[in-house]
Amino acid sequence: MFIQYFFASYMNCSGSISAAPESLHPSLWLASQLARSDTRCIDTGHPTLSAQLPGGGWPTGTLVDLLLQQPGIGEMRLLRPALAAVAHRRIVLLQPPHPPQALAMAALGVPPSQLIWVRATRTADALWAAEQVLRSGSCGALLFWQNNIRAENLRRLHLAAQAGETLFFMMRPLAAGQDASPAPLRLSLRPQAGGIEIGFVKRRGPQRDATLFLPLTSYLPNRHAPVDRTAPAPVAAGGVHTELVH
Amino acid sequence: MASQAAQDAGVRTGMRRGGVLMLLPDARIHERAPALEADARQAVALALLQYTPQVAEGEESTLLMDVGASLRLFGGIRALCRRIHANMRALGFTASLACAPTARGAWLLARSSSRVRAGRAVRMEALLRRLDRLAVLLMPPARPYAAWFEGIGCYTLGDLRRLPRPGLQRRCGRGLLDLLDAAYGLVPELYEWIAPPETFRARLELYDRIDDADLLLAGAQCLLLQLTGWLCARQLAVERITLQLEHERGRVARPPTNVEIVLAEPTWRDEHLVRLLKERLGRLTLEAPVIGLALEALQVRPMAPPNASLFPEPGGSEDDRMRMLELLAARLGADNVLQPLPLADYRPEQANVWVPVQQKVSDKARNAQLPPDVLSLPRPTWLLARPIALLMRDHRPFYGSPLRMASNPERLEAGWWDGPETRDYFIAEGLDHTLYWVYRERIGTDDNGPKWYLHGLFG
Repeated sequence: MFIQYFFASYMNCSGSISAAPESLHPSLWLASQLARSDTRCIDTGHPTLSAQLPGGGWPTGTLVDLLLQQPGIGEMRLLRPALAAVAHRRIVLLQPPHPPQALAMAALGVPPSQLIWVRATRTADALWAAEQVLRSGSCGALLFWQNNIRAENLRRLHLAAQAGETLFFMMRPLAAGQDASPAPLRLSLRPQAGGIEIGFVKRRGPQRDATLFLPLTSYLPNRHAPVDRTAPAPVAAGGVHTELVH
Repeated sequence: MASQAAQDAGVRTGMRRGGVLMLLPDARIHERAPALEADARQAVALALLQYTPQVAEGEESTLLMDVGASLRLFGGIRALCRRIHANMRALGFTASLACAPTARGAWLLARSSSRVRAGRAVRMEALLRRLDRLAVLLMPPARPYAAWFEGIGCYTLGDLRRLPRPGLQRRCGRGLLDLLDAAYGLVPELYEWIAPPETFRARLELYDRIDDADLLLAGAQCLLLQLTGWLCARQLAVERITLQLEHERGRVARPPTNVEIVLAEPTWRDEHLVRLLKERLGRLTLEAPVIGLALEALQVRPMAPPNASLFPEPGGSEDDRMRMLELLAARLGADNVLQPLPLADYRPEQANVWVPVQQKVSDKARNAQLPPDVLSLPRPTWLLARPIALLMRDHRPFYGSPLRMASNPERLEAGWWDGPETRDYFIAEGLDHTLYWVYRERIGTDDNGPKWYLHGLFG
């Protein structure tokens, strides 16, 4: 905010600005521009999304907040290209909401040999495990599901993430979008027909209120009949019910 | 021997018991126990073997180390002294440390002062200057002749060296001259170096009944330090250690609690072992307070120093990764840090097997169990641990909203040998376009219509 104000007044005083702010220092940008990332970024694999992110991809070594309406809405398919890109190192799933299925992860491009599933009974243990993984820096990505987390713990994890180049996603419910977070990038995800709807809660760049629809590869096999066809309903006594027919 | 507090109160060596108690009514007076002192010296010697293989025991509770060959490895004499001081603190002892070009010179310097840093003479000239100022009676062979030395006004070693040697040898014996020559570097010195034992087992008696994990860890650290010294001396790396927590023998004898640590990568440094023990002790529930600790190295193998690469790999080596996973498993439990080992089975529950990460699984064995085309089977990312029975509304399964079947059924019929499953799996779509993996039981349908279950979520 301060930087925006500073440049606005600077332009008013001198009438014209001799040098673009981004050429002065890497961490300066105009409010209308996307910031350049000072860390290495992993391409999201979705060009329309990459164009909207500072640095053109998922930043490594920072906390990235993904706010999910509920688990299982396509979040793994969204992260698929990035996870496949870092799959030469281990990928840690910390406290996923349900048991992950290795076969499905293999279909997403993450070889089962690189997957680690960590369960923790207490929140303190989960936070400790996340910090250990981040500090060791030997893993490609850490995906951490946690519904309730305090702001100071988030800050601590964000600091731990900066120690390495681990891709760190924090999966939290949509309601957590109301709370402040040290994450420089926060996205909200909602399911949509044939894809996912991404809202930009926070990013280093201009505010974007419009959501972005991203088509995702479907699980529905194409070789079969169109999806609108009704499943063969079991014939119950009394004949076919009219409600079952579209 | 008196502690610093006692010395401040005026207690001096040679005082009687009554005199001490008059100065300090609540002083604790202990008898000297030569056996325990010898054990303590052995423990310290074992820990110090990590700096040099040449450690010998000297007279009057001293240890002599030849560190000439180790200076460069440990970053110079100052850094080495700092490390030894830190080790002594960790072991719970105080010691006077002196360094000199000759072993006997270092011995004299260390005996001359009760301070922790008794003196460091790196060059020979400096040593000669310091030795000349030391008292004659520091040397054990000179003590029987204390009165005679005082009578002729010979107080320091410098005075002693000015006396004629033949006369000195006639009066005081050969031993005094030999010791003097050894200290001044005129004759070579010979020592019998301590040989590390074949197997490692160290025991520590705690000074109290302890049930606090941090205090136990401090005791265990003391034992691990000895283990490090032993491993370095024997050029071994440890794969499996066990820490026994001995309980007090009350009305019933309790067996000691065993904490066993198995390492994926053998190590001979104690940092990783300390971290693992810390997490394990933190989780441990003790039945009774602990009065003693014993550490044993159960499985060792020859030390293999790691291959260092010119450009360090980002993210560390495979060893670092294993170390991190071991640390996670130590705190969270081995059953909570898992790796997948898919099984070639049509039934999703049986196919999705996860095993502890310490279990060695070859990539070949794992890939053999995967279907040749993983994309051919539409499987959800999240498989519910237990299928949820779905409500039926208007003869359709309902989960938050009515579910619409979005795919043709995939019929699974397998497992007649254990837990048969006859199911039709569908991909269903809710009103909010979330995809679910649901199935219909084909056998066991009752009058209320078919039973539907939710079994997975497509991430």
